[in-house]
Amino acid sequence: MLNIYVLIKQVPKSDNLQINRKTGALIRRNVENIINPDDIHGIELALTLKQKYTGTITAITMGPLQAETALREAIAMGVDNGLLITDPMFAYSDTLQTTLILKEVFEKIKDYDVIITGTETSDSSTGQVPYQLSEALEIPLITDIFSYEIEKDLFKCQRNFGHESQFIEVKLPIIIRISKHFNKTRHVPLSGIKRAFEKELEHIDFNYLNCPSKIDGCNKSPTQVIKTEKLIHKRKNEFINGSIKEKIQRILHIMKDHGVEKRWMNKK
Amino acid sequence: MTNLNEYNDVWVFTEIKDHENVNNCALEILGKAREIADQLNQKLVAIVLAYEADKYFSTIKNYGVDKIIFINHIDLKHYHEKIFPELIFNLIKKYQPSIFLFPSTEASSALSARLAYQCQTGLVNNALNLELDKKKNNLLLTDKPAYGGNYSVKIVCPKTRPQMCTITTGTFQKKESKKDNIDLIEEKYNFDKNKLKIKIIGTPTRKDKPSASLSDAKFVIGGGCGIGSKENFEKLYKLADYTDGQVGGTRRPIFNDWMPEHLQIGISGETIKPNLYLAFGISGAIQHVVGITDSETIIAINTDPNASIFRVSDYCVIGDAKEILEGLLKQYENE
Ligand SMILES: Cc1cc2nc3c(=O)[nH]c(=O)nc-3n(C[C@H](O)[C@H](O)[C@H](O)COP(=O)(O)OP(=O)(O)OC[C@H]3O[C@@H](n4cnc5c(N)ncnc54)[C@H](O)[C@@H]3O)c2cc1C
Ligand SMILES: Nc1ncnc2c1ncn2[C@@H]1O[C@H](COP(=O)(O)O)[C@@H](O)[C@H]1O
Repeated sequence: MLNIYVLIKQVPKSDNLQINRKTGALIRRNVENIINPDDIHGIELALTLKQKYTGTITAITMGPLQAETALREAIAMGVDNGLLITDPMFAYSDTLQTTLILKEVFEKIKDYDVIITGTETSDSSTGQVPYQLSEALEIPLITDIFSYEIEKDLFKCQRNFGHESQFIEVKLPIIIRISKHFNKTRHVPLSGIKRAFEKELEHIDFNYLNCPSKIDGCNKSPTQVIKTEKLIHKRKNEFINGSIKEKIQRILHIMKDHGVEKRWMNKK
Repeated sequence: MTNLNEYNDVWVFTEIKDHENVNNCALEILGKAREIADQLNQKLVAIVLAYEADKYFSTIKNYGVDKIIFINHIDLKHYHEKIFPELIFNLIKKYQPSIFLFPSTEASSALSARLAYQCQTGLVNNALNLELDKKKNNLLLTDKPAYGGNYSVKIVCPKTRPQMCTITTGTFQKKESKKDNIDLIEEKYNFDKNKLKIKIIGTPTRKDKPSASLSDAKFVIGGGCGIGSKENFEKLYKLADYTDGQVGGTRRPIFNDWMPEHLQIGISGETIKPNLYLAFGISGAIQHVVGITDSETIIAINTDPNASIFRVSDYCVIGDAKEILEGLLKQYENE
């Protein structure tokens, strides 16, 4: 029986974002929100772990009320419980504040075996939360795994680390960080969708925390964003249309224009 | 509350790669860090943790440092996820730097995130620029990409120290300069290995080591996950053979064992500046894109019309990488 927690974040779908010219803030109205792409794969890993070793899965997200949708989507995929960490005091948290809040929550939960995170979020792409949570909870963070098994309280896996491929063993609890390449996600079953709407979600707010003195997203985040600007890439962005043959001819043409020619080769 | 005045000097984590050479990006950062240190009238310090650390000093000394603080120990031959953060955190407590900069390699990204937590300070990753805010007490201003690389955000860290950030390769140019008296300060290695929780079983296998550099190639053929298989990836090499090009790629092919590690392009690999970059089946993740922006022309081939790589390309081809690759090869074979 594993107590599995999967951290998910709701992020704006990034192809068509609008920024308020005056304040530099993202205009969140009319933006489609999705579960952070990496985190869907985190949910998938949680489901696989549960199938293999039995247990309960709780999806946790910190965000505004509307992030409930992300939790319901997770439940539709097969997650057992959803926990929303939400409070005006948590708004504008940077990574460090986010980590400190998550730390408090996990210290109350106590019985966690595996915490799953994505590699990074598509909106802020800091990639810092997994490392910082590992520091905060003083448990190992395992990244870039490819095969794994759990025996009692021992997690055994193969991972890439730096210049090496290693077999490692580590006692639970641990944090596992994965990316969208780790697995393929399953289809959402119809029964899941029904369950997702019926399930009651748990909420955690500022008053729930043990030592709230460090927490204040707006005033105690060490980093502050002072400006947001659209990045302009100075590229042609010309789409090459036509049949596959025409596309290939055009590519060859551009290659020639850039001095790429067939090389004279020695026949062996 | 942190007393900001007690924090002085600009530090650069001068990462040593593969127990072999000083990371290029770290050398690039030293140039910019020198400028900032001059403006602040503070010292520029290189932090070196390595085995046989002294063998890198002659290189580092050419990049304007005032001081090198180093720890030399066999356990520091490669980045270690617990040892490096602990040792460096102790250095930060002792010397209290005001600014601490890191290359945005995987090791340094991991290291800086852990350190930022230990110091309870802010960290900006993948900064695209650094400057000092003359109006506001010389606060460090950093720009970083956000929202899938579509936006740039400006970030400051006003109340805590050090101000930390990681910087992408190719952001700054290397600048040689040499100080007259460079201080060398050795600190002791002290780490209790009993507290390590991760146990490595057996002997790890070593992945490929760097040999040739991609950074000077005039024509680079890039491969990503969308290539689909090792067999297809081999065709990239064939095209490179025909055209005197060089193959490189994203991190995925390394994972899938299609490509050796030293051919990685991006923040943890090479920065390229060819006349032409031909990208097959690459999504355009920011970590990859930062390594290709100096290319004169970019052609991208991807099945997904919304792939972000198209936003940074001159020519966008919606199509199957394998099919186009085979078509190109056929042309050269028939010629
Ligand atoms: C700290 C850190 C450092 C990193 N450093 C680097 C780095 O230095 N370099 C790097 O590259 N990455 C790096 N990464 C990884 C990076 O974030 C991306 O995961 C990686 O670049 C994605 O590789 P990809 O584009 O090949 O794969 P994917 O993101 O999987 O994209 C594959 C693309 O292929 C397309 N495709 C699929 N099938 C086909 C087909 N038949 N024909 C054509 N197109 C097809 C898809 O539409 C998709 O766009 C780093 C990550 C982290 C967290
Ligand atoms: N607000 C949040 N709520 C829940 N999980 C989060 C939140 N922010 C980050 N995470 C987790 O941390 C991972 C890395 O995010 P980041 O460090 O913000 O790029 C994500 O993939 C999530 O698993």
